[in-house]
Amino acid sequence: MEVFKIPIGPQHPALHEPISLRMTLEGEIIKDADLRLGYNHRGVEKLAESKTYIQNLYLTERICGICSFSHSTCYTQGVEKLMELQVPKRGLYVRTLVCELERVHSHLLWLGVAGQEAGFESFFMYTWRDREVVMDILEIISGNRVHYAMNTMGGVRRDIDEQQKKKILDSLDLLRKRTEYYLNIGASEPTFVARITGVGKLPRQQAIDLCAVGPTLRASGVAMDVRKDDPYAVYDEVPFDVCTADSCDVLGRVVVRVKELLQSYKIIEFLLKNLPEGPVKVKAPRKVKEGEVFSRYEAPRGENVHYIKSNGTDKPERLKVRAPTLANYPATIAMLKNGFIADIPLIFAAIDPCICCAERLVQLDDSRNGSSRLVRFSELRRLAIDRHKKTGKIKKDSAWPF
Amino acid sequence: MSDEAIIGKIKEVLAARAEGITNPAPKRIFLPVSPGQLVETVDLLKKRLGLAHLATISGVDRGENFEFLYHLVNSDATVTVRILTPRSAPKIPSICSIIPGAILYERELQDMFGVVVENIPDPRPLLLPDNWPQGQFPLRKDWKWERPAEIIPGGGK
Repeated sequence: MEVFKIPIGPQHPALHEPISLRMTLEGEIIKDADLRLGYNHRGVEKLAESKTYIQNLYLTERICGICSFSHSTCYTQGVEKLMELQVPKRGLYVRTLVCELERVHSHLLWLGVAGQEAGFESFFMYTWRDREVVMDILEIISGNRVHYAMNTMGGVRRDIDEQQKKKILDSLDLLRKRTEYYLNIGASEPTFVARITGVGKLPRQQAIDLCAVGPTLRASGVAMDVRKDDPYAVYDEVPFDVCTADSCDVLGRVVVRVKELLQSYKIIEFLLKNLPEGPVKVKAPRKVKEGEVFSRYEAPRGENVHYIKSNGTDKPERLKVRAPTLANYPATIAMLKNGFIADIPLIFAAIDPCICCAERLVQLDDSRNGSSRLVRFSELRRLAIDRHKKTGKIKKDSAWPF
Repeated sequence: MSDEAIIGKIKEVLAARAEGITNPAPKRIFLPVSPGQLVETVDLLKKRLGLAHLATISGVDRGENFEFLYHLVNSDATVTVRILTPRSAPKIPSICSIIPGAILYERELQDMFGVVVENIPDPRPLLLPDNWPQGQFPLRKDWKWERPAEIIPGGGK
């Protein structure tokens, strides 16, 4: 049969972010797959070398829009080690709480995407509706839905009170009930199960050889979880299980994530009920003495890694970021081989790809007048202050201008 | 396994080559080797200590030299193998024959530091654009970014 090559991406309706997948096909079977990255490369690592530690905190948070907290926590706990700070217990508890809430919202989002790619649209609508519950909790805690800005060197920036605690615990009951329902669907809805069983096979040994991480690796039967192997924050005090599956396919990846949701609820409940009293942060120095640190974090998508080298000034010598998606690319190529072309979106979505994360960067475009130009941060700040001065104080009963 | 036990095992496996081993923080072990010994060291660490997961390869510009750190992970600790290669002729061996998952990290190093990775199965650029000028390596300290003159498609000024 004739072999032909088709490009998928960088811009493609089935992909939500730019990446170029080049498929070699024989009929409908994928014989070979190739990747080309860099369509979303922003040069974050180079930029970080010219910014102070506290500025980099906000930069790392903006590496990704879904797992923003995982990058900022990974960076913060690395810098805290370099600064030799003792973070107060309550601060660590609140930090861990936001970590787990982020995992819940990310996994619910992914479940919806998996449902949609498998042609199960109502599953997508259900999970995304329930995800709003978590987003509301995150908004109550931090004031934001995506970039929480909770972390700071030496702890967290906001405390939580009794009322918030009660609200979170009430919402958890609902979420737990819904997640158990999804686990049931995953196991008993025959069309959904038939669509995802045996798709995107990744045998155990291959997953290890290709250095896969997170739910992708755990669905191939390897119980690797940074929270257990190399506990950070307060994970060494919290009881939870590492969830694995042995089916090595997309079904396994769905099951692992749903089970992890249930574990996350357990962790959140434990954290809230055992929240110690005390301050949430300590004061951090501006300069960091010479040293190096290798920081690991279990993001919703897998092991997230930051390597930070300091040189005695207030700016890092080097900040290396390796997001979980990059580690999962070689495994994705292996999963695609000998699969069907119709399975590409499903397999690719199953690693929960975040191309933004894998490519790390920052540019601002101003396209209000049709021409796009780069806006410097200082200019953006000046514009915001000008606008604030012009509009004056916002009245409580002011109406929308439109 | 405790850090002491891992260090003991590494010393037993690598003998004299494990001389500079340090343990600056819990679960973090640093091991400097020469580039010529890298492949053999990684192979031994993988086979004898189960350090099969390569978290990433970090590159650092140290002026005269480039430093590359191979962060190898198992369920007990992270062992970072450190190598130095001269800036004038940067050359490191590929470890893809032992850890196939290293390929994207090695390609990224070639793009960003201009280091030659010997025996790499796939030497094509990974991250930088196709029309990227030759000899420009962004993560070297002496590389400064300058905004190129804007070209508007279809002419005009």
